Amino acid sequence: MSRIGPTSPIALLIGLIVLVAAVMAGLSGTELALSRYLANAIGQLAAFAVLAISLDLIWGYLGILSLGHGLFFALGGYFIAMYLLKHSFETTGTVPDFLQFMGWKDFPFYWAGFEFFPYALIAAVVATTLIAGVFGYVSFRSRVGGVYFAIITQALVYVAMLLMFRNDTGFGGNNGMTGFTVLLGWPMGTSGMITALAVASLLVLALVLAGCRWLVGSRFGALMLATRDDETRLRTMGYETVRLKLIVWCLSAVIAMLAGMLYVPQVGIINPRVLSPELSLEIAVWVAIGGRGHLVGAVVGALLVNAVKFWLSFAAPDIWPFILSGLIVLVVLVFPNGLMDLAKFKLVRPMGAKRIAADIGEARP
Amino acid sequence: MKLARFALLLAGLLAGGPFLAPAAGAQALDRAGLIGNLCGNAGAMGEAASVLTGLAMSGDDADRAFAAPLARAVIDRKLACDDAGAVLTESGLDAVTRTPRAAAGEARTPVLSLKNRAVYELADAALALRAAPTVTQRAAALKTLERRPALIPEGLLDIAAEAETDAGLKVEIETLAQTAALNAADPAARIRALARIADNPSRRALTQISALTADPAYVANPDFRAAVDSATARVERGIALGDVLATLYNGLSFASILFMAAIGLAIIFGLMGVINLAQGELIMIGAYVTWLVQQGLRIVAPSLLDWYLVLAIPVAFLVTAAIGIALEASLLRHLYKRPLMSLLATWAVSLFLMNLVRVVFGTQNLQFETPFYVTGGVPVIGDFIFTWNRMFAIVFAVVTLALTWGLVRRTPFGLNIRAVTQNREMAACIGIPTRRVDMMAFGLGSGLAGLAGLALSPIYSVNPQMGQNFIIDAFMVVVLGGVGTIAGTVVAALGIGQINVLIEPLWGAVAAKVIVLLMIIAFLQWRPEGLFAVKGRRK
Repeated sequence: MSRIGPTSPIALLIGLIVLVAAVMAGLSGTELALSRYLANAIGQLAAFAVLAISLDLIWGYLGILSLGHGLFFALGGYFIAMYLLKHSFETTGTVPDFLQFMGWKDFPFYWAGFEFFPYALIAAVVATTLIAGVFGYVSFRSRVGGVYFAIITQALVYVAMLLMFRNDTGFGGNNGMTGFTVLLGWPMGTSGMITALAVASLLVLALVLAGCRWLVGSRFGALMLATRDDETRLRTMGYETVRLKLIVWCLSAVIAMLAGMLYVPQVGIINPRVLSPELSLEIAVWVAIGGRGHLVGAVVGALLVNAVKFWLSFAAPDIWPFILSGLIVLVVLVFPNGLMDLAKFKLVRPMGAKRIAADIGEARP
Repeated sequence: MKLARFALLLAGLLAGGPFLAPAAGAQALDRAGLIGNLCGNAGAMGEAASVLTGLAMSGDDADRAFAAPLARAVIDRKLACDDAGAVLTESGLDAVTRTPRAAAGEARTPVLSLKNRAVYELADAALALRAAPTVTQRAAALKTLERRPALIPEGLLDIAAEAETDAGLKVEIETLAQTAALNAADPAARIRALARIADNPSRRALTQISALTADPAYVANPDFRAAVDSATARVERGIALGDVLATLYNGLSFASILFMAAIGLAIIFGLMGVINLAQGELIMIGAYVTWLVQQGLRIVAPSLLDWYLVLAIPVAFLVTAAIGIALEASLLRHLYKRPLMSLLATWAVSLFLMNLVRVVFGTQNLQFETPFYVTGGVPVIGDFIFTWNRMFAIVFAVVTLALTWGLVRRTPFGLNIRAVTQNREMAACIGIPTRRVDMMAFGLGSGLAGLAGLALSPIYSVNPQMGQNFIIDAFMVVVLGGVGTIAGTVVAALGIGQINVLIEPLWGAVAAKVIVLLMIIAFLQWRPEGLFAVKGRRK
């Protein structure tokens, strides 16, 4: 097991991310500042990269594919949206559209306290851990795994989407929540705020990367890989794999939730489309294209696929699905480990390439 | 004497005209006497009117044609009475013989009393309803009758409804018949009408009957009250029964669709451990192929157009099976050791197929002909209609089930499938070409998806996104039913279909989906391998 050296790709990537963040922050307000569109795009990409890491953590390192990670992403999004609306209401008196739309005079009781950011953050972490914990516990306990787990998570996110599409559920329904004006006391939509959000996303990305790198490099990480490669043997040796899987699953859910919290203020809207099974599947595609079981791969995959998507949604929106499906087939058939297979051609040599270069065995279904 | 008969007639008429009016028409009609009465005093005229009304009910067609213009002529004052009888002034014909003749002597136009005017309008409308040649005229006559439901003789509307050829007007007449009978003056007639209405329970009947609780007779007449109450109870029972049956029936048809969507998925999953996320798109392509067959028939053989649903069966199966086999041979073959990757690969295929269809055919819903064998239905009880389009899906699913079962249980190919499902290595050892079995089974599963698309095309809207609506439910059927068992798929499809439909009216479609998912997750705690797991070592 190698250590983080100054030349390892992950250290380089973290360094690069921090550098970009520093440059963006430094240039903010000057003539050389990035355009609002570019800064915003960088921020969104960083949020997606965090999301990709969260999935890579359980799929690449634990062999559990979730096709419902959009659920946790959306949870973060809805919680931050609740904070933003309540906070905007408290500071500027803007009544949110959806309250008027629902014909409600006041916020329902469960919105109480959401004007305080720490409360909203803690509530989001608690709720995410609770939902992921309960679902993970019942699934792992009955040893639901592999394809079964994947499609049940997909059903979960699908049902959540149907639920949130109903206007009666009370979170903006079909239209979602929008009209955020103030974040932590600062007005939103200014160049400064856009840059600040992008910088924050980059810093969170760097932190999450470093934290996950530490985790998978630790003894605990070794157990994760062992669970992925042969859970039965590990269980026979007396390890409590259910608890291990549950901890990583909840951690992954919280990271995905954080990504949602970063993403929503930057796009300025949350609606149930975030919960569509397609988005959750796309996350898996980012990771697969970048390379499962490599944190760098997940980040690169998310950045690459989304950069192409951003560009194509303007250039040729109709051909994007065809390109995406072609990419997936290419990756699945030719590069089973995604871009990390290029390591074979000595273009990039990821850390631990020797260990992973052999086709990663998936957990059996 | 004459006056007494008239009074009796009128009374009978007002009371709903029970027995005298038909009797009057049953004998041969005294045409001259009738015309004489028309030219007579107020009493005679009233008697003539009741004869006319009676003709509307029970006279023969020739008499009715004779009587048809008379009431209108009297009302419009187009009847001239003279020494030789009467002349219809509009046409210049003799009122009795209907031959042209000039007026004989001094002509006099009979004047209607206020009371008789209503009776004549009734008679005119009754005759028009029976004898007028056009639907519009008959509908206008019905409108006139509607104004005084209490005066309409009992039985007239029933006879008219029976003879009516226009379906829409027939329903209107029947409705009025019920209203008229319920509002008749004679309590016995009303009670009879109540019993008749209660024989056909529907929500409309319930509204009609419950309106009677506000009627003065409900308080005054205990018999009537008892009849109303018992009719209400009977109708409510009928409606409740109809609702239960309708729910079960809808659940059954939904379950058939689920079964069709899931059976191919279950076979493939059991055999190869691959969940085919493109199954929904194969369903969609099955529906599109059905549409193409319909369009093809329209051009090549329009006379066979009605049978496109049947003719499309082999086409839909073969096209989707071919797509499935191509998919297996080119893509999934390389992914057997990596089932999670095969999820992504099949999703890529689903994305590709969906967008291909979107580009080629557009996003709008396809228009399907509805052949006679999937049109309409048989009303059974209450609001439950045994609709043929749902029956088509159910029968289709049952036949598919029987064929699939026979194929898997009774053919060498099925034996191979079962062997590979149970133990791939061992099957390979005894010489079963497992890769070939995989390919053929994938083709079979895909073909079954195509048939599902065909079966649901008469019920659901067909567009490029339609596959998405079924696929997650179909997954749940596979998860619940257990890997690769037909029985499990059937039971799980029935269960999920019925539960969905049962919960839907109570808490809505979304709640139904949430509850079903939670139940499945809870169920997996108890039996993680599904309902009918193949016995073996637990992994």
